[in-house]
Amino acid sequence: MLRRNTPIQQKLMKVIMLTSGAVLLLTCSSFFAYEFVTFRQSSMRELSTLGEIIATNSTAALAFDDSTAANEILSALKAERHIVAAGVYDADGKLFSYYRASRNQTPFPTVPEADGYQFAAAYFGGYQPIVQGDKRLGTLYLKSDTGAMYERLKLYGTIALLVVALSFLLAYLLSRNLQHGITTPILALTETAKAVSDRHDYSVRAVKQVDNEVGVLTDAFNHMLTRIQEQNLALNESSAKIVAFNQRLEQRVAERTAELEASNKELESFSYSVSHDLRAPIRSIHGYGNILKEEYASVFDAEALRLIQTILRNSKRMGQLIDDLLAFSRLGRKELMRFDVSVQDIVQIIVEEQKSIEGDRPLEIKIEKLPNAFADLTTLRQVWINLVSNALKYSRDRERSIVEIGSFEKDGALIYYIKDNGAGFDMKYYDKLFGVFQRLHSQKEFEGTGVGLAIVQRIIAKHGGKIWAEAKLNEGATFYFTLSGMSSSAVAVNEN
Amino acid sequence: MSVLKITKYLKAGRSKANLWLMLVAVLLSFGASAPRQDEITKEYQVKAVFLYNFTQFIEWPPDAFAQPDAPLVIGILGPDPFGKYLDETVQGEKIDGHPLVVQRFHTLAEIAHCQILFVNRDEKSEWKQIFDYAKAQHVLTVGDVTNFSKQGGMIRFFPEDNKIRIRINLTSVKNAELKVSSKLLRLAEIVEP
Amino acid sequence: MIHQEVEVLIVEDNDEDAELAIRALKKHRLANNVVHLSDGEQALDFIFGRGNYLGRVISQLPKVILLDIKMPKVSGLQVLQAVKSDPQMKVIPVVILTSSEEDPDIRKAYELGANSYIVKPVEFDNFSKTVADLGLYWMVVNRI
Repeated sequence: MLRRNTPIQQKLMKVIMLTSGAVLLLTCSSFFAYEFVTFRQSSMRELSTLGEIIATNSTAALAFDDSTAANEILSALKAERHIVAAGVYDADGKLFSYYRASRNQTPFPTVPEADGYQFAAAYFGGYQPIVQGDKRLGTLYLKSDTGAMYERLKLYGTIALLVVALSFLLAYLLSRNLQHGITTPILALTETAKAVSDRHDYSVRAVKQVDNEVGVLTDAFNHMLTRIQEQNLALNESSAKIVAFNQRLEQRVAERTAELEASNKELESFSYSVSHDLRAPIRSIHGYGNILKEEYASVFDAEALRLIQTILRNSKRMGQLIDDLLAFSRLGRKELMRFDVSVQDIVQIIVEEQKSIEGDRPLEIKIEKLPNAFADLTTLRQVWINLVSNALKYSRDRERSIVEIGSFEKDGALIYYIKDNGAGFDMKYYDKLFGVFQRLHSQKEFEGTGVGLAIVQRIIAKHGGKIWAEAKLNEGATFYFTLSGMSSSAVAVNEN
Repeated sequence: MSVLKITKYLKAGRSKANLWLMLVAVLLSFGASAPRQDEITKEYQVKAVFLYNFTQFIEWPPDAFAQPDAPLVIGILGPDPFGKYLDETVQGEKIDGHPLVVQRFHTLAEIAHCQILFVNRDEKSEWKQIFDYAKAQHVLTVGDVTNFSKQGGMIRFFPEDNKIRIRINLTSVKNAELKVSSKLLRLAEIVEP
Repeated sequence: MIHQEVEVLIVEDNDEDAELAIRALKKHRLANNVVHLSDGEQALDFIFGRGNYLGRVISQLPKVILLDIKMPKVSGLQVLQAVKSDPQMKVIPVVILTSSEEDPDIRKAYELGANSYIVKPVEFDNFSKTVADLGLYWMVVNRI
């Protein structure tokens, strides 16, 4: 009958058992309490009844002064275990005869006290008049211990427990069998609900088994399922529409992307061929100019040589301009591939390269601690190349180029810096510093295309970082930059 | 409570009775020629009380009384050993509506109605007549002379252990259609000759 | 003209670039026998001894080929592929010439088997470095 106990069945049975248990216990304990309270009274009644009997039986013995017979009568009390003492006092209050239980050692009262029975701590007893006809012949004294009471209570207690246990068992059996009426419909409904939720099958319907609240629940459940099915249909329709819409969007995006890519590609090949084609004539100019300068120097006078130098200088510059312009434009299209790169290594190599380019000029390049950066290797190299070469270039007129490269932390951000003791610049023109083709010095002072810092700024910006500078005319310049707002601690995490 | 006890009492009674007699004899020889008034009276005080008590433990048949409120007569046949004591004891008492009175008779013929008769006559020859009368008239005969009950008297007082004990001739009692309460029977020595 | 013992074969459509290169080479005595061809078709004919060059002893392989990538008609990459897929000719070191380091064709050239590249103009510095890298040290030695 019982497959297994589901929690609701358990709960129901628990409720029933607890209720019946509580009722039983309450009943039994009230009965018990009542018994306890009235037991005193009933014990007293019993004792007084016994007293009356004994008294009646003792009248003759007392009347005829037969203490032996009176003792005999009293000794019959031996049968009543709980009587510890009994005594007959004559009309003068003298102890006429007595009975004493073997274990009792206390002496008898010398004179009888008032009639009636009383309860003391461990005993109860009293005095009973012995009357024949309407003459009082004497007094009967009876003393009983309370053992009877406790025996009685124990008996009641045992019975009560037995009854409770049996009733409990009965309650359990009954509840186990009768709770089906309630739980079966609920369980059926639960099964259906589970089926719906497990299989996502909204066509399932629960079978209405009863007509009570559970029935109402079943109906509501089924109704809900119908609604869900309808809504699902509606949803499916609209989601199909959305999908279709999405697809059209995707298509459009793809088309646009293709267009963009195509135009990018065009730009790419355009700039490539432009640079290639632009470079070729420059190569020739420069090359042939060099030949003239080197192999026909003897033929030229100083003025002619100066003219040739000018040609060469300018063609070289043209080449630089083209290269820089190309590099700058290429940056816009480039995708950064960022890794954890060792800035220390990059800078050291670049410094060595730049040193060799500068030749024998007295240089002092100090490299402090440079933590790793999460950056694109190629472009980061470009940044350092530009910055280092700038530092060296603009300090060329010093006796000794002193360059310091390092990093520090401020407000949780890691800042790299490069400081030179070169010409510096006027902070008045700071906003021109990073502009394309903008220069703060003439070609005569320092050569350059004015694209270097613009390139650097673009690269830094692409990394999500910032670059700024501080300088004083003729006292050198310091360039600071951060990368991508990643704090040093975040970088440290990356390192680990 | 039976043969054993009865025989024990009899034996004890024998020797104790002898003791009593001896004591009386000694006393007599020592002192007063007349029996000590208070001692005898004491014994008869007790007997008087017993006589009164009998009324409580014995049931007379309905035709023992003329009317429901007819007096219950305690008669003394022969010399009165109780003095005023018996009168005092029964003074104002009633049993079942029957007031208790004490009457004294010299002869049987004087008796009109009587429920208890204390026979204080030695003449054993008279006893048969008395007992027959008692049997017919539902009278409880009480005596304290030796063999009283054996001869047909219903209740005999006899001394034992410094107490007055009772011996009942149950046959005589039954013959007179008198009912004795078991409480009393229990105390008494039963004799059924 | 049938040359014996070709040391350097320059395939370059721009005559001025070629002239500058040859001048540099000869001036520093980096190579004595330099052949200049102006287009890819001619280059292939020369290398494989066909067409105009039918009859050339092709077993005498050039020591190094300097190959310009951007050429009309038969492009440098096509020449490269032809050379590097020929079992006999693929041993010849091919150095491609490019106008910029960021030329995307450089990668393609490497994939086709190019040995190295030089950014034009071909000068003493970059040429000597390249041939040194390729292990052709003897070309660098000054010869009379």
